Amino acid sequence: MFGLLESAGFTRVRSTIVPGFAFRKESTRDAAESYGVKAVLLTAEKPAT
Amino acid sequence: MTDLARVHAEEQAPLEGVIKGEVMRMYQEVAEHPDGEFHFYHGRQAAEMFGYERAWLDRAPPGAVASFAGVGNPHLRSRLQPGEVVLDLGSGAGLDSIIAAWQVGPTGRVIGVDLNPTMCRKAEAHAAAEGVRMACHEGRMEDIPLPDASVDVVISNGVINLSFRKRTVIRELFRVLKPGGRLSITDIVSAKQLSQSIVNDPKLWAS
Repeated sequence: MFGLLESAGFTRVRSTIVPGFAFRKESTRDAAESYGVKAVLLTAEKPAT
Repeated sequence: MTDLARVHAEEQAPLEGVIKGEVMRMYQEVAEHPDGEFHFYHGRQAAEMFGYERAWLDRAPPGAVASFAGVGNPHLRSRLQPGEVVLDLGSGAGLDSIIAAWQVGPTGRVIGVDLNPTMCRKAEAHAAAEGVRMACHEGRMEDIPLPDASVDVVISNGVINLSFRKRTVIRELFRVLKPGGRLSITDIVSAKQLSQSIVNDPKLWAS
């Protein structure tokens, strides 16, 4: 997603991991961990000109 | 679009339709039966986990809080100012829209966009109950029903990952933002390519 924002023209793209995010069901949580699934907070700006 | 990309898109179209239906069904289920069991945490428990202020959750309509199904807190970095126009992409039952409306005040405006018209009406009802301005448009995130350069800020919470066409969604966000506008979104990313069995499972994709 970070790369998509930059390639669309956004600037000052920032990403931080959301602490505490997890899936509730253990089976989904295990699968998500194996794929490196994380929640992130992304911010970006559209250039003024 | 190249021939290969066109063939790929045509092959994925039926699956995309099924997933769209499953996404609508699942999030409507959260709104109508918030005491149900889902793959993800939801409601007040999830909102508190992500640092939503307790005062917000006490003040917001209980139905909006109970149906919250986000994956983080986009308000932490949104820096909303009075008078700004905000797009809440995938506004669901409306909790994030209501919190945004408190911040932009009566001179600002919050516009929700949601795939599910039932959710749109629910979000508007929750906003009206709280006495804030929020209009929700039924629409797809790949084709946002707003003019070019019409919003100051985009917020979104756990929605873009549900799209098969994320590049198109991001282009749409760029289009609807005014020059100098900004976005603050929380979403799910994965470090590895998901297996085809997950991609082909509408329930897993929707969750």
